[in-house]
Amino acid sequence: MLLPRFQLLQPKSIEQATELLGKHEAAARIMAGGTDVLPRMKYGLESPSYVIGLSNLPVFEPVDSDGFLLLDSLMSLTDVARSEIIRQNAFGLAEAAYAVGSYQIRNMGTLGGNLCLETRCMYYNQQHSYQFVEPCFKRNGDRCYFIPKGKQCWAVFVADTAPVLFSLDASVEVLSNGSPKRIPIDEFYTGNPLHPCTLSRQDLLVAVRIPINSGLRGTAFSKFTIRGGLEFAAINLAVVLDVQEDGSTCSNARITVGAVAATPIRLKKTESLLIGQKLSDDLFNDAGRTAADEIRPIPHHGFSASYLKACLRSLTRDALTSACSRIPRH
Amino acid sequence: MKTIIELRINDELFELLVEPQTTLLEVLRDHLALTGTKEACGTGECGACTVLINEKPKLACLLLAAQCVNMKITTIEGLADDEGLTPVQQAFLEKGAVQCGFCTPGMVLTVTALLNECPNPTEHEIKKALEGNFCRCTGYNKIVEAIHEAAARLSTASPSGR
Repeated sequence: MLLPRFQLLQPKSIEQATELLGKHEAAARIMAGGTDVLPRMKYGLESPSYVIGLSNLPVFEPVDSDGFLLLDSLMSLTDVARSEIIRQNAFGLAEAAYAVGSYQIRNMGTLGGNLCLETRCMYYNQQHSYQFVEPCFKRNGDRCYFIPKGKQCWAVFVADTAPVLFSLDASVEVLSNGSPKRIPIDEFYTGNPLHPCTLSRQDLLVAVRIPINSGLRGTAFSKFTIRGGLEFAAINLAVVLDVQEDGSTCSNARITVGAVAATPIRLKKTESLLIGQKLSDDLFNDAGRTAADEIRPIPHHGFSASYLKACLRSLTRDALTSACSRIPRH
Repeated sequence: MKTIIELRINDELFELLVEPQTTLLEVLRDHLALTGTKEACGTGECGACTVLINEKPKLACLLLAAQCVNMKITTIEGLADDEGLTPVQQAFLEKGAVQCGFCTPGMVLTVTALLNECPNPTEHEIKKALEGNFCRCTGYNKIVEAIHEAAARLSTASPSGR
């Protein structure tokens, strides 16, 4: 399968990269690992005049800076999954990175690329001959083929690492026109499937910043797919559980579900059910039921809303159980 | 605009004239006739085009040739030498892990990298490593058997792996 013609620009530093972005604006597309943007270009969904390849940029190791874990957005997902400092402080993030794509995709794909993933639907992200009939919303048209009576685009955001960062209360560092800016992760996503991230064409995602928690904490990520590998999530879920000194009373819970809308969604009702309670299997079962009642998933890729709700119930229970088992014991 | 690049493939240097949009896969197959690397989906789903870039399995269909300068590229043609097949290749042959053979180059390279990183993989680790390599013939059982066999041989073999 052939790529369309473009000019390849390979900056050697972040400064050069932002300069090129400012110069070419909408005509340029950033390529980090290339595992999301190149298939789209091969399918003819995008044909930028310039591709800014970031593979020559230096990548810094994860560092603990002032109580925050700072990760380079160009870290490969394999490195995220294996990094000792990430596994110690945010195990759920390592688990999520390990759940992305395949061995090869994780070696190529980056953390930042996963956060800026394009939204997906069964129609748009494929090469269908009928895509050339009347364009859908995502191709600047006026119809949705996936939900035929839809008055808007119904694509969902399926990245695996994003829900974990929601649950960890992370933020991202962006270079906007060359000047740095920090965006909390929940403001990074717009909820609009046509433009899932708030980044403009001049912006470059450079780092992810995760607060380090010194208390008793367990994190977990779980994902449901049919094949069990190399698949975008039908639904995914990230849990962060903090407990009090007694080791069993929940002091704080943050639960985020992904792939059911154009942005990850916090399950605040389920969280408040857990806070102040003694952790137990019964409580986790109740939390699963509450979670399933709390949201209305967008049906996607052949999964109905009620099926996704049933998945959410068991994912919530399972993720809470494994997060609980990871809370350090005295 | 075409540019001249130099690629190190299987320990040999090649000077090539490529377009920016030329993928590593096109260079290997069309420019250099290294047709052991296969193209099936072309979009990163099947793993047939797996090559090792600095010992890590990556997908040649989603790498631009111009990005691979100064990297060590290993294709299936670079594994066996005068002394014969590698233990992974030998195990695939003996255990019947090859049927039509289209996925085999990608499988062998992925497994070679896996056994480098993790000499004694569990069943789960093997399946997880192979999630991006599709085989439509064998049903994977023979392949998993071959990997166990290769791991066992490598752990008892001489340091050179043979």
